Amino acid sequence: MADARAMHPSLEVVEADPEADRHLLTGLADWCDRYTPLVALDGADGLFLDITGCAHLFGGEEKMMQDVLSRLLRQGFDARAGLASCPGAAWAAARFSSPSVIPSGREADAIAPLPLSALRIDTDIRAGLESVGLYTAGAILDAPRAPLARRFGAGLLTRLDQALGRAEEAISPRLPVPPLSAERQLAEPMVSTDGIEVLAHTLAVTLKQDLERRGEGADALQLSLFRVDGAVHRYVVRTSLPVREPAVIRRLFRERLAAVEDEIDTGYGFELVRLSVLEASPFALVQADLAGEGASEEEGLAFFADRVQARLGGNGLMRPVPVESHIPERAVRMVPFTASEKALLREKEEAPSAQVPPGPERPIRLFANPEPVEVIAAEVPEGPPLHFRWRRAMYHVARVEGPERIAPEWWRTPEDASTRDYFRVEDAEGRRYWLYRQGLYGAGEGMPRWFMHGIFA
Amino acid sequence: MARNATAQKTIYALRREIARIEGVLPERLAAPGEEDPVLRRGVSAMRGAAAGAFLETGAAGLDNALAGGVPRGALTEIHAPAARDAGAAAGFALALSSLLRKEGRRPEKRRAVCWIGTADLVREAGFPYAPGLKRVFGLPAHDLLFCAAGKLADALWIAEEASRLDDFAAVVLEIRGNPARLDLTATRRLNRRAQERGRPVFLVRAASFAEPTAAPVRFHVSSAPAVPRSTLSGALEDSIGHPAFTVAIGKSPTSLPGEFVLEWNPDVLAFYEIRPAYSRALVPAPAHRPHLPAAGGTVVALRRADAAPAPGDQPSREERPAHPGPRRAG
Repeated sequence: MADARAMHPSLEVVEADPEADRHLLTGLADWCDRYTPLVALDGADGLFLDITGCAHLFGGEEKMMQDVLSRLLRQGFDARAGLASCPGAAWAAARFSSPSVIPSGREADAIAPLPLSALRIDTDIRAGLESVGLYTAGAILDAPRAPLARRFGAGLLTRLDQALGRAEEAISPRLPVPPLSAERQLAEPMVSTDGIEVLAHTLAVTLKQDLERRGEGADALQLSLFRVDGAVHRYVVRTSLPVREPAVIRRLFRERLAAVEDEIDTGYGFELVRLSVLEASPFALVQADLAGEGASEEEGLAFFADRVQARLGGNGLMRPVPVESHIPERAVRMVPFTASEKALLREKEEAPSAQVPPGPERPIRLFANPEPVEVIAAEVPEGPPLHFRWRRAMYHVARVEGPERIAPEWWRTPEDASTRDYFRVEDAEGRRYWLYRQGLYGAGEGMPRWFMHGIFA
Repeated sequence: MARNATAQKTIYALRREIARIEGVLPERLAAPGEEDPVLRRGVSAMRGAAAGAFLETGAAGLDNALAGGVPRGALTEIHAPAARDAGAAAGFALALSSLLRKEGRRPEKRRAVCWIGTADLVREAGFPYAPGLKRVFGLPAHDLLFCAAGKLADALWIAEEASRLDDFAAVVLEIRGNPARLDLTATRRLNRRAQERGRPVFLVRAASFAEPTAAPVRFHVSSAPAVPRSTLSGALEDSIGHPAFTVAIGKSPTSLPGEFVLEWNPDVLAFYEIRPAYSRALVPAPAHRPHLPAAGGTVVALRRADAAPAPGDQPSREERPAHPGPRRAG
């Protein structure tokens, strides 16, 4: 490095950043999704594109390859490409005779003049072969196989077969292939989100026919936006009931796009929009009755829940689910709303409710994390507080009910976990609180602490 | 005579038009019968006309003051003076929802309650706790839908969408403070949605002061000391009975202002008017001038969002002690 700097003082040194390289390659793989859904990463510097059945969309194999190369060149990449009927041959062609198309069945002729490294073999094997004067792939293509295998291992022969297309080689695509997708190439880049929404509708109309033929509805949909400069945005919308109506899909994406409107950077516009069905499930056809009310009552609610979900992302509409636990904060769990579960849950819950006597008093609002309370005075050590300070304000206790002792769940927590004594407390102004004291006086180390856990009506 | 009938018809049509523009209930303005509703004094006459438009709370005093009850198809504001009163305000809204659920006009539908809150208020005042809601308001877990929105705009949007649906008995929207976005337009939109569906939207506002909104009715709700539990041998000393609310009518198109203390009975799901035994002296609200509710927005733990701090973190004019000059002798 010092020598190089001495020779060229203006030399700029940039440290290798494999992480950034990998990131860039992933971005490129994203971009290549426009050609085929089957894109796989190959080491640190290559991409495999399985273009089976895709080439005719771009005017044939050669034109497609030219298209890839020219677009990458315009983006500032020096890319090489090779096209063959098997990954091994394509790999060799891309690296040593780019750009070239190896016709099916002519792999041996194409590979023969290439050096040994075109076969993707380990360096020590290559060194071994070169030491006996074998420098090109052609030198070992027709050599007797048994001595080669004995000398250099079975790996060499596998690579050889893969390069010639005699052995099957699978590439592992980076993303799962959606069962259905529709796309639209745009001559003029699209800048407005409204236009994207309209396009999503058009694509959904196309998808609807396919979904109808399969008798399915979409559970998860993905809208991929390919920007002119190569960036790819993907937006996923999940639904609680299978959908296939274009209008419904459009409205779901409207909320999704509205939620990300601030962060979406249209730049110079999008040139390719693709709508894919990520997950599909059987679509139950329900016949409407003559009054038009036969459709499931859940439908409106499910659609509402989906749109909230699309808008908020993550957990939108939540529903509490009772859990078998006597610890107050564990007795209920918030789960995202799904329509199918609801009916099931209702049956389960309604059956015994008539006979069960009402449980102990519980607050209507609970704090997710109990808040520490400073108790100024308690009448007796184990008794309720007379005054307490919560959120820097003083409260004077007028009346108290309790304690209700709630022990920890011994099967979950260590045995010496402290118990809680809950008190219903009413302050001088009539507000009712749920306080608890953690621990007992004189039982463990340290003083028991007080917490505010909930508010009554 | 014929001319008189035509005039009546014109007046009737105009009245309906006014009702439509103002967004109030036409029944209120156009009572059945040909006589002028202004001349028909007495609450009972009004109540007969508008029986379907109001939800009777069951507390006779409050119902009479509101000329029938809480409007069904309207936005109703429920104010709590501080965030710690959010339990009482939300409790009152849920109690009203529970009354709606109990009616069961259409048993399959309209059973669920949609509760939308902004994330900051949910953090400060606690999230809805299903076992308590089931016990106090008879609201089973599967009938509650809860949504904590990070942004106020999202919360308003969800509330609007929810109030369009037929599946809910009531929509409860809970917002903290007096955000600028919750203006006349936003509340009017909610009010219109409620009118279209004939189902109330309760706007619970914690730690906020009253400001002009499109809601026809506004309540100021805070907790009232509960009546002791009653046993066979009389009241149980120092026990905390059913939840009690102090409800003050802050705004209503018809009502006289007033303050009522209501008790909610969780066993029969009904309101009763009580005279609080433990409370401070109850001063009847003056009838000849509007009732002034206690200044809202007093927050204990947190500074109110809209109160701009004095420049440079200096104490404001009110807080800064006066510095009297040296007293001049003689």
